[in-house]
Amino acid sequence: MPEKPKLAIYWAASCGGCEIAVVNLHEKLLEVDAALDLMFCPCLLDTKKKDIEALPDGAIAVTLFNGALRTEENVEMARLLRRKSRILVAFGSCAKGGCIPALANFTTTDELLATLYRDNPSLDNPEALIPAGTTSMPEGDIHLPALLGRVLHLAQAVEVDYYVPGCPPESHQIWNVIETILSGDLPPKGSTIGCGTLTVCDDCDRTKEDKRITAFRRSYEFYPDPTACLLEQGLLCMGIATRSGCGAPCTKANMPCSGCYGAPDGVSDQGAAMVAALGSVMDIGDTAGLSEEAIAGRVDAFLAAVPDYAGLFYKYTLASSTLGGRVGSSKSTPLSPPLSGGKCSAPPLTRGGREGLTQVPDCNLSKQSGEIAE
Amino acid sequence: MKIGIYFCNCGSNIADKISSAAVIEAARSFPDQPFVNILDFICSEDGRLRFEESLKSEQPDRVVVAACSPRDHEATFRRCMTAAGMNPYLLQMVNIREQVAWVTEDPQVATDKAIRAIRGAVGRVRLQQPLERKQLEVCPDALVIGAGPAGMKAALSLAEAGRSVVLVERTPFIGGLPVRFEELFPALECAPCMLEPLMGDLLHGDCAGRIELMTMAELVEVTGFYGNFIAKIRQKPRQVSLHDCIGCGECAAACPATTMNGFNSSASERKAIDFAFAGVLPNAPFLLEGVCVRSKGEDCRACKDACPMGADVINLEEVETVVERRIGSIILATGAGLYDAAHVPGMGLGSLPDVYDALQFERMLSSTGPTSGEIMTANGSAPASVAIIHCVGSLDEDHNPYCSGICCQYAFKFNHLISAKLPDTIITHYHRELTVPGKEAHTLFQQAVQNTNTCLKRYERITDLAVSLADDGRLQVSAHGELEPADLVILCPAVIPAAGADSLSALLDVSRDSSGFFRELHGRLDAAQSTIKGVYLAGACQGPMDIQKAMLAGMASVGHTLAGLQPGRIIEIEPITAEVDETRCAGCRLCISVCPYHAITFDTEQNRSRVNAVLCHGCGTCVTACPAGAINGHHFTNAQIMAEIEGVLK
Repeated sequence: MPEKPKLAIYWAASCGGCEIAVVNLHEKLLEVDAALDLMFCPCLLDTKKKDIEALPDGAIAVTLFNGALRTEENVEMARLLRRKSRILVAFGSCAKGGCIPALANFTTTDELLATLYRDNPSLDNPEALIPAGTTSMPEGDIHLPALLGRVLHLAQAVEVDYYVPGCPPESHQIWNVIETILSGDLPPKGSTIGCGTLTVCDDCDRTKEDKRITAFRRSYEFYPDPTACLLEQGLLCMGIATRSGCGAPCTKANMPCSGCYGAPDGVSDQGAAMVAALGSVMDIGDTAGLSEEAIAGRVDAFLAAVPDYAGLFYKYTLASSTLGGRVGSSKSTPLSPPLSGGKCSAPPLTRGGREGLTQVPDCNLSKQSGEIAE
Repeated sequence: MKIGIYFCNCGSNIADKISSAAVIEAARSFPDQPFVNILDFICSEDGRLRFEESLKSEQPDRVVVAACSPRDHEATFRRCMTAAGMNPYLLQMVNIREQVAWVTEDPQVATDKAIRAIRGAVGRVRLQQPLERKQLEVCPDALVIGAGPAGMKAALSLAEAGRSVVLVERTPFIGGLPVRFEELFPALECAPCMLEPLMGDLLHGDCAGRIELMTMAELVEVTGFYGNFIAKIRQKPRQVSLHDCIGCGECAAACPATTMNGFNSSASERKAIDFAFAGVLPNAPFLLEGVCVRSKGEDCRACKDACPMGADVINLEEVETVVERRIGSIILATGAGLYDAAHVPGMGLGSLPDVYDALQFERMLSSTGPTSGEIMTANGSAPASVAIIHCVGSLDEDHNPYCSGICCQYAFKFNHLISAKLPDTIITHYHRELTVPGKEAHTLFQQAVQNTNTCLKRYERITDLAVSLADDGRLQVSAHGELEPADLVILCPAVIPAAGADSLSALLDVSRDSSGFFRELHGRLDAAQSTIKGVYLAGACQGPMDIQKAMLAGMASVGHTLAGLQPGRIIEIEPITAEVDETRCAGCRLCISVCPYHAITFDTEQNRSRVNAVLCHGCGTCVTACPAGAINGHHFTNAQIMAEIEGVLK
């Protein structure tokens, strides 16, 4: 019996939801097992890093890599798995676009650590100890993987073959991905797979009308009409700017889409697309005769209902967005040379409007983490 | 791909600052290594010839012209492209004159800027696609909205020039505000008599056949653009045939229901079926449905039975209809109204008897009005004293900041008419400023000043004045605390846009100014054009004006229509439009309402949006708004714009 192709599922900075989504394949897991040798998955199996290191390069057929890159260890594992895998899939929104962990890019690493370990009112840390790469203790030095200056998505560190969106990816789409891979009939490298080609509106069977939004509202304020478009009811539903394929479970549950499948093909920045769309249909009333200040005041009052722009518009894509994060942090220094293969790989050019603006992505590390040598 | 860069020295305008030699050198590293051709004045006859010859001999696939602003000569160079057998949209212009040479001191810096801009254009032009213009014959006909002095003049003049005109009027009659006045400033002409020949021609003259008059009608929707508008007009039921009615009034005499007549400033009664006022044109009554006893369930046919012209004149079953008309231009002549002086505290309008605004007093003066032209107080006596308060809600930051310009003139007309009928009546004018411009207005002003029973008093702020009821029941005006009795008080409120201007503005996307009047394209150069091409302005809808100026404005709008839309003229439709990529549109319908030109419709069968290329102006609003990236702006695709930016920033 020939050896089954090896499958690895790895988690970097992630919540474990992607693994749960895989387990949600239920009895189809048996089919996965029949076709593939799931040989590395820290959540489920006891395979060690050294076992992977011992493999010849390219020995793993497919690695589903979930989680963002938060620490040096994450980057190290990404590189290792890249080297050992023939197909590396950025699996889930963290690996694809940074997701929730990347919202930390709005702050510096020092501020982040201070908030987490020193200033948080629920902490009891009188010595104000903050974890660092190396901490000297009476018993000797202890080492922790240092934080990167910025949270990266997988393609900012290593070359990625395919992207699977979702927080987490829907199980039926995971099965589609596995089937696609097993079939050998793979789309062009760099494609996003396990999803649709339109937006969530195509999955969502609510009735859509022409849009003019007179006020933004939040879910706690009212019980939305279960058949009418949620955006038209004032809820900030990200479905219009989000790739289809999930089957719209959130809007079916009367909750607005939060955008976890990211932007559809052809849209380079989900948050910007959403902002442009909302700006086009916000109805601030008749402005005839109003001064510019008065009009700006109306817009401000309208937008006051949106408490957290970043968390709303860039919840899943900040690391891969044009915005990237907060600019000008004095704590971060550019990483040179870049992380892998002497070259920082930008997201593939096929992914929308990044053509022409291809830039070296933010591979900044904080000073405390030092530079990673090749 | 072969790319040609044509660099214009523009004499010394560009050559002084930008080194063409450096551009030639830099172009070697541009994508596709374009050839560079240096010319002087490409826009000159000789330059155009050399440009065209070069295009024919070199046969480039794409062309960049580095010269002046595209607003100057893009059309010129596109024509050269066409003449040389190339698609004109394969040209990209770079403005290295206004945006570089003229505004950059250092020639080194200017040259570097120009090279960057040209590199951007080269990057962009490589992605440009040939586009084809559509041709469409214009419709020379016009829609005129409002049948007051300006609108009537415009409609009749267009009809005289052979054009078909749809004249839409919201009220049941034509003539606007002044047809309800008795005598007009400055020459005291009888208003209905003065307007009658114009109205007669409009209704029954030689050209009347070309004017489709729709009274009791309103514009409800407009699509299209200059030369090809489609207007939807809602025709409310009059229940009386304008064609067959002879205006005998037998129906009104028979009608059992009465109400107050709004067209007589609610100062007299009317029947449910009745004329707006005596002498009204068209000479036909109209039915107020809500007042008619049939609306209360009674089966009354009194009017229909009374009609001597037969059973078909009155149609009690008539319902509202919406008709569609194709026209090439639209003239807005919706006129003005008066600011509600009840909003000005202390004036007593609506709360005190014998306080009237100017329109109500005009009706009192009119022989067809509620008092048949007698000036009297509510108790039927002649007033011994009259107060005329100018600038009510005008020149007043709390109300309307502007001077309405006509009130002083009619106020002194009132003075004259009151003095003529009641020579012993004391008349006091309370004014903030006085405006009597021009060669004729001074006559009535001087008469008032010389009238020994007239007194002019200046006040600072309207709050310095108060109209109140004295203990003896007479009205009194207190000015700066000084009390003067007044049996009749006439208020001259600010002239404001007629009701409905706001909805028309929204319908047509015509801008309004801070006071709500339609905004002119340019207040002095283009005061008869609105901000939308093919929509013209005439009369008091664009600002307070008298009849003379309204008539002139009506003619000015006619001039635009006649000059622009000759029968048979072909206009070309720019191919720079938006197009929905149906493989990416998920049918969220967000784009529909953002289009300022109503060019996007929703195909419910396919669940996709569609852009009508004839209606699309290529503004790009929907391209930006589409959250799915499903709308492409031809000639301004994301890829083209990104390539240009990349070229500039490289």
